[in-house]
Amino acid sequence: MSTTPVTDPRFAEIESHRPYLVRYALSQLRDGQLAEEAVQEALLAALESISSFGGKSSLRTWLTSILRFKVIDLQRRAGAERQLFDAAQVDAVADDEAWLDDLFDETGHWRIPPQAWSDPEACLEQRRFWEVFERCLDRLPGAAGRIFFKREILGEETDAICKDERITASNCWVILHRARLGLRACLEKNWFGAGAEGAR
Amino acid sequence: MPAKVNCREASRLLSVACERALEAGESEALQYHLGRCLMCRNFESQLKFLRKAAQRFSTED
Repeated sequence: MSTTPVTDPRFAEIESHRPYLVRYALSQLRDGQLAEEAVQEALLAALESISSFGGKSSLRTWLTSILRFKVIDLQRRAGAERQLFDAAQVDAVADDEAWLDDLFDETGHWRIPPQAWSDPEACLEQRRFWEVFERCLDRLPGAAGRIFFKREILGEETDAICKDERITASNCWVILHRARLGLRACLEKNWFGAGAEGAR
Repeated sequence: MPAKVNCREASRLLSVACERALEAGESEALQYHLGRCLMCRNFESQLKFLRKAAQRFSTED
């Protein structure tokens, strides 16, 4: 620890990414304490090897790649048994179609039809929108939240995600579909819909 | 005449299209449905927005 170069000017810059990194770790580990632990380890590792950061990628991308390994490491430490159990659980989530019955009626029509959202692009500039977005992400069921985060926020390829999660591509798509439907409904209810904050 | 799909199936195809190219039959059926269904067209634009927002989220603080 004594070798941690806290005087490095990049220390503050690295620290400024902490909230994002915690968000990432939480999305993958779903455990506040484990997430903090992973981020702490990743930041220490980053500080120790900051000289190897060539600046080719953004600092955040570099930090996230370090964190990714810490997260996988912690997941492994949590036990191979739990990983297998998780993969089985993810498959079960994909096979379960009951959640679709909540969204579509017997004839396959939307129970609550998607509305036209007014000027969604403008929301991207609003702080409050991001708070709602993040809350909606957190509400996605475990596997859906984790896989959506990897696919859409980190931009990982489906193949890599399938391998990490030990699930098939088609189950991965089903789960992503579920996440998108869930996120869409949550945003409409809490931001875009009639009477919601963003529609005012 | 393309195969008929309902909203449940059309929404699934829209989501799958974010991951892989649709087969010709799937694509025709989807386009035929979208031409007649405003709700699914709304869903289609929302999917595009979600992807954009998610990418942007990674750079938000």
